[in-house]
Formats: sequence, structure tokens, C-alpha cells
Amino acid sequence: MIILEDVHYSYDGVYTALRGISLQIDDGERLAVIGANGAGKTTMMKHMNGLLRPQKGRVILDGQDTKYMSVAEIARAVGLVFQNPDHQLFLDSVKKEVEFGLRNLGFTESEAEQKRQKTMVNLGLEGFTERSPFTLSGGERKRVALASVLSTEPRFLALDEPTIGQDAHQKSLLAQMLTEMNKRGRTVAVVTHDIEFVIENFPRTIAMADGQIIADGSTSMVLSNDEVIERCALALPQMTLAARALRNVFPEVGQRLTLLSELEETIMGILGGA
Amino acid sequence: MHRLDPRSKLVLSIVCASVSMMFMDIIPLLMVFICLLPMIAAAKSLGRWATSMKGLGALLVFVLVFNTLLSPMEHPFSYSLSLAIRLVALMTSFSLFFLTVQPDQLSQALIQMRVKFEFAFAMSMAMRYVPTLGQEAYAIMDAQRARGVELDKGNLIKRIRNIIPIIVPLIIVSIRRALSIAESMESRGFGANENRTYMEMLRFKKRDWAVVLASLLMLSLTIYVRFFAGLPGWMLWGLPF
Repeated sequence: MIILEDVHYSYDGVYTALRGISLQIDDGERLAVIGANGAGKTTMMKHMNGLLRPQKGRVILDGQDTKYMSVAEIARAVGLVFQNPDHQLFLDSVKKEVEFGLRNLGFTESEAEQKRQKTMVNLGLEGFTERSPFTLSGGERKRVALASVLSTEPRFLALDEPTIGQDAHQKSLLAQMLTEMNKRGRTVAVVTHDIEFVIENFPRTIAMADGQIIADGSTSMVLSNDEVIERCALALPQMTLAARALRNVFPEVGQRLTLLSELEETIMGILGGA
Repeated sequence: MHRLDPRSKLVLSIVCASVSMMFMDIIPLLMVFICLLPMIAAAKSLGRWATSMKGLGALLVFVLVFNTLLSPMEHPFSYSLSLAIRLVALMTSFSLFFLTVQPDQLSQALIQMRVKFEFAFAMSMAMRYVPTLGQEAYAIMDAQRARGVELDKGNLIKRIRNIIPIIVPLIIVSIRRALSIAESMESRGFGANENRTYMEMLRFKKRDWAVVLASLLMLSLTIYVRFFAGLPGWMLWGLPF
């Protein structure tokens, strides 16, 4: 469980990135953080694994104040994948790269090998084992970076913009893997601008603007909030647009429609009633 | 100071630097240094100068300690003190130039000194990207620490090995960026025209000539003193240890 208590942070004391963030993330949750560029999403994520320390407030990991823990200690529990894969890849084969994190955390040779293979299959990287990461395309490098952290299966997984540069197929592979890890009890948090990805895969959403949390709750509730849509600079999700169009004709269509299945149900209801 | 032509400031800096290179004794070096300070003050850059001097601090201590311990001179401490002052004076003379000249002024100055535009441009680009590289290095350190690399732990060899996960991505990212900058510059027509024209041309004004003249005068005076007349005795004073 991670608890942030009234966390404030400003870069160089000039630009304030976080103004009083309070939130609680329980074990086994799956949540998304959305917000316009510069809302403080990445800054908040960096507080969760201790790369940044709150200037005011506290971050508590499993009942322990992270003030007294090193980043490496926290990294065993909290895995963070950054936006730019080029910032972490440095070895000459994808295989070594993925095993690097596992070695750091002290897994044995055979365990590391096994975990690496499984992760690479899950992320569609089977064919790249001996390739140099630097010869891969942007999207492929991104997946290698993801694999290098996902393979360690941290209890809490934080991903910064994991879907950038991924086609629909790769995105759904990633979603599948995250959901599976979540089923095995891992907590998953992603920062993303990809609303469809959020709707389909994350039950809880936190919306941020100007260094504050402006909404926190079920995804369907947060995303049907007009203030959130506006302040997070979101394009309305297609399902919501469809629902609104439908509501113009059939007033019985609900206010909070976001899932395809919900929309289907409603349409079937209307058709059945007609 | 800021309004001077960069070329006259360049002459001034080089003269100050060469004057400090010519002497090996505490008093004349201190005199050079004391002459330089008001110039930095006139440029309102004392704050930034002090920060860069702080960065030099570790090196100065290093110079002082090692020269005192290892130098075969008669008065090793006096000698290494003058070396340290010389280093400070040298740095200050160049700060005079780099703290008051903007990168595009510098490249314009180079171009008007008949350096090819491509080279001048490359130089100002290089200066422009130093802070970016610094930011990048921090981002990479964060990314690796998040993967469990402990940068500030272990013995010396382990620490040196820990640099690899930082330096390799840094180089790769820089090369990638250089390539993409080149591509984007070409796609915006860089080098399409042989003769570039410039919106702002640098002009030598009276005060610039005055600065150049004064600098050259000072240079010839010190050369005369150093090589032909010799320093008066009181200037050769050194610490007795």
C-alpha cells in the first residue's frame, strides 16, 4: 500500500510541480493517472519510488516512511518505467538488458533466465533475444525497456506513458500482461494520455491539473466529469460521444457511459423495449 | 561591458590571460586578478563568476596540496599559491568573455572574423547543448536508479563500473539527437543558400577601439617589463615556506 500525504514539490524552488497531493493506493489495484502536459503526473510517480523526496508531506510505503529508505530499497517493491527507453538501455543485447534488472535484485541465473523468457514472450519480443537494443525501432525499444522492469515483477508497478509508439496489437498485449500481473496481486499504475487504453483496462482513474488531484474515483465517473475533460485537455472518448448522441434521441441513456459493454447493453435494452 | 563588441572583448580576454601566463610570482598575479575583478563587476556578473569559481575550488585545493608536497622548488607553498592564483586569474579572464557574450553574438563574431558559417554555427550549437546534456544525464541517472543500480554505493571499482549504465545511454541519445537535428535542419533548408545575410551585423565603435588599444598597450608594457626590464624587487616577494 502506498500513501501520499499532502505532498508538495517544486523544482529549484521556482516552478511548483505538486501542491498538496494526497492519495492512497491499495494492494492489487489497477489505476490510471491522467492530466494535461505539465500537470505533475511524472513528478508524482517519481515520489512513489523515492527518486524525488517530498519537500512537504510524506510518502508511506507499506507503513514505512520512504524518507528512511534508499531508492534501491524502494525499487525492490516499486518498479518505475520511464517515458524515454533510450535513457535506460545500455547493454549490447536485448537478453542482457532484460536480465540486468533481475541481476540487480539478486535473482539466480536460472530464475532470471526463466523470468526473462516469459516476459519477452508476453511482450512479443521473442525474436529479438540477441539483437542489440540500439538497432531496434522506437516502439520495440520501448517494449524492451518495459520488459526489463516488468520481468522483475515488483509488487507495485508504475509506468510512465507505456503506450507511446505502440500499435493496437502491441497495446493489447501490454494490457493483457498488466491485467495478468494484477490478477497475481501486483498493483499497477500508469500515466497516460491514451483514454481508450484507460477505459478498457483501468477501473480507477486519478485526474491531475496544476499539481493537484482534481478527481479520483471509478474511471467511468471521472471521465464523465466535464471539468476533468476540460482541465486535463482530453478529447472525449468515442463511447461517451456515442452515448451523448444516443441520449439526444433516447433520454433513458445514462449519464455515465464509458464501456463498450455498457453501451451495448443500453442499446439492447432500448431495442428490446421498442 | 555587455555592449562592447564581442571581438574587442575577445582581445581583452586574451591579453589578460597572456599577462597572467607571463608571471610566476604572487604580487604581479594578484595585481592582474585585482584589475580583473572590477571588470567582472562592471559586467554585473559577479554572482555567476563566484559560482564558477566555487566549481574551481576543488581543483585549486588539489593544485595547492600536490604542488606543495611534490614540487622541488625552494619555497613549495609560495610557488603553489602563485600557481593557484594564476589559475584563478586565467579563468577569470576567460569568464570575462564567456559570461558577457551570448552564443549567437559569438557565432556572429566568428563569422565576421571570416570563419566559415558552418563552423561558427557548430560552435554555437555545441554551447547551446551543454545544459541539455546535463538534464539528460540526470534523467538517465533516475532511470537507472529506478532499475536498482546503486550509484553511490560500493568500492571504487564498483562505482567506476556504475558509470557505464549512465554514459552509454548518454552517448547513444546524443548521437540520435545529433542525427535528428541534422535531418530537421536539412529539411528546413539549411545550407541551401551560399551567401547568408544577417539581420544584425556587429560594428566596431569608438569604445571598442579604446578597449583594444588599451589591451594592446598593456600587453606591450608587460612584455617589456617581463623580458627586458625585469620586475622590481618588491614584486618578487614570496612566502618563506
